[in-house]
Amino acid sequence: MITFSNVSLIYPQSTHTVLEDLSFQIAEGEMVLVMGETGAGKSSLLRLVNGLVPHHTGGILAGDISVDGISTRTVKPGSLAHLVGIVGQNPINGFVTDIVEEELAFSMEALNFPPDVMRKRVEEVLDLLSLSALRNRSIATLSGGEQQRVAIGAAFVLHPKVLVLDEPTSALDPIAAEEVLSVLHRLVHDLSVTVIIAEHRLERVIQFVDRIIYIQGNGESSIGPADEILKSADLVPPIVRLARALNLRETGTSVREVRRQTEDIRNQEFIPAHVRKRHKDVAIDVKRISHSYGTKPALANVSTQINQGEIVAIMGRNGAGKSTLLHSIVGLHAPDSGEITVNGQDPTLLKGALRRKSIGYVPQEPSDLLFGTSVEEECAQADRDNQLATGSTMALLNRLVPHISHHAHPNDLSEGQRLALVLSIVLSGNPDVLVLDEPTRGLDYQAKSIFGAALKEYATQFERPVLLATHDVELVAELADRVLFLAEGEIVADGSTLDVLLSSPAFAPQVAKVMSPKPWLTVADVVDALGQEK
Amino acid sequence: MKKPLHPLTLWVSAIMLAVGVVALDNAWIAIAIVGAVALLVYLRRDGSPWQASFYLSLRIGATILAIRTIVGILIGVPIPGTVLFKLPILDLPSWMPGIRVGGSVTLERLSSSLHEGVIIATMIALFGAATSLTSPHKLLRVTPSFIYEIGITLVIATSVFPQLATSARRIRTAQKLRGIENIRIRSIAIPLLEESLSKSLQLAAAMDARGYGISRKRSRYRPQQWLMRDNYIVFGTLITVGIMVAR
Repeated sequence: MITFSNVSLIYPQSTHTVLEDLSFQIAEGEMVLVMGETGAGKSSLLRLVNGLVPHHTGGILAGDISVDGISTRTVKPGSLAHLVGIVGQNPINGFVTDIVEEELAFSMEALNFPPDVMRKRVEEVLDLLSLSALRNRSIATLSGGEQQRVAIGAAFVLHPKVLVLDEPTSALDPIAAEEVLSVLHRLVHDLSVTVIIAEHRLERVIQFVDRIIYIQGNGESSIGPADEILKSADLVPPIVRLARALNLRETGTSVREVRRQTEDIRNQEFIPAHVRKRHKDVAIDVKRISHSYGTKPALANVSTQINQGEIVAIMGRNGAGKSTLLHSIVGLHAPDSGEITVNGQDPTLLKGALRRKSIGYVPQEPSDLLFGTSVEEECAQADRDNQLATGSTMALLNRLVPHISHHAHPNDLSEGQRLALVLSIVLSGNPDVLVLDEPTRGLDYQAKSIFGAALKEYATQFERPVLLATHDVELVAELADRVLFLAEGEIVADGSTLDVLLSSPAFAPQVAKVMSPKPWLTVADVVDALGQEK
Repeated sequence: MKKPLHPLTLWVSAIMLAVGVVALDNAWIAIAIVGAVALLVYLRRDGSPWQASFYLSLRIGATILAIRTIVGILIGVPIPGTVLFKLPILDLPSWMPGIRVGGSVTLERLSSSLHEGVIIATMIALFGAATSLTSPHKLLRVTPSFIYEIGITLVIATSVFPQLATSARRIRTAQKLRGIENIRIRSIAIPLLEESLSKSLQLAAAMDARGYGISRKRSRYRPQQWLMRDNYIVFGTLITVGIMVAR
């Protein structure tokens, strides 16, 4: 279906090749995962398939790519629209109309389909992606998972033979992600659509894919069956790390496979690991706060206390009120009723240097905080703001990501580097409380572990609390001491990470699924427990 | 789900009503019409992003009314009548005859300023209501296809504006939370421009990938039909306006 022969790609004004001499073939009805570090060129590879690269972005392409026998060299991306459907990283940026139905019809209108065919196709897609209840809704009012489904539907309506998706689940909660992936699974199995997908959270997709293309970032790349590539790759999901730690014969990609191999471990008796002591000094005190946007309630009577030195994760579906709670805590808005104190202060009254000292906040879009033209300038600004010796922020940044270019424009950094930069700027103020809103979107496993270590160090070294909202169960399992679970603006669960994550199958991390009913969340937990035994 | 009216119906009615309001030139009836339109907008709200435009138009109208009244009081030709209060007269050079700033404010002068302001605000509110009930995107769908090309360009341009406003607000609050109090225009403009540019490029790429501009001709999905209801509404408005103009 898709043939890459000796493809190399280099962008103008760039010193290294993104892809070098890449050749592979993808057959009809195959599901292929593209993985690699952030900024390795996954998106470029995806966009090569329908010719958006280089037709739309520039760059020098050597070799040849053909889809269903048509070379992307000779035609514009639009002429491949009936063959390749592409869903971008942020579907909301690719929507052309306001209403679900019109969005689905857009590409058919553009290609001058007769109205009766359009009617039929739209109905088909609405049913296939379970969108019929949303057909007249305005797209802006849909949740993230629904928007993602609309984007897939809009790409699928032309009946393409290939569907290309760039991180389709990165902004979604585990349940919405599952919905989207099961839709893709159905398209592959029932309709023999070829699916190419890029994703960082391998634990979500790994069980569905047939083959993996692994881009190493230095131009090298390999392609092969999922377990073969994962055997030697650096970026691996927890399930493979578990298999490696336990020296299992085979690297399984699904929970079922690994469970079969670890039966004897689960049957052993272990002394329960000692529980880390809870800190008692309250840092953030939230008393019965409610907040609503217009008539829509976002938080209803939420009360909680965050203690010093604690890492607390806030979880819940998209739109459950996580961001609203964080915004209230950092003092972005005063809640409609109730009261919040952060170390005894009202967060809405904090200003300037006092604010930087009291609350460090990393927003959902970390780049919102950046406006300098180079990494160096940003760091110097932070030093000046916080009256630190020149180079302090830079030193902090270098500890997080050693090889960052000091003269790079913040926009040219990879997601991981940019987050590290923002984190160092925020930490340079030496804040008493650290609050982060979905920090790990678009981060690969390595960037995530560096980031996790930095947060842990902050929390334990200074005995200060960290509060983060996230969809990333694996991150929560590794990092958090406690989880607050929000639904419809109310706290429905509040307890230790172990209790909360194990109580719901959708939010259980991979290791917990494999090791159930043993109370282990991470590879480290399993290794520790086994080590104690010996 | 209430079946939507033909997009042109409300726009045609709004234009006719605006003509009627100007012809009749009665502030009380103008205010009554704004009230009726507000009720209609409230009853037919559907939560679309354009819904806010009526409220926005009311605010613009109120601002214009306020400015018009203040300017009317301060500058202008004196109208004799009941004197409400006196303002000091500003001495102007002799080469500006006939213009007076300040002076006595009469009830007549105040009411005529208010009256003109209300008429202008009503016109704006009428178009605000039409926009909020039928989004410009829907209106575009019924336009003849030879201007569709320009139209779709306009749609992209207009969809950038609301997004620009929300992004600006988001960036501003994020920076406030970094403890930056005196915001310079540069610190907002740079992230904003970068974001808008990359979003527009993404939209262009998405449209390109979906086959936009490949076919010379476009077809229409579910063309909206002009129903009897639309006739009733347009004729009803026409008669009302007829009476307003004839008086």
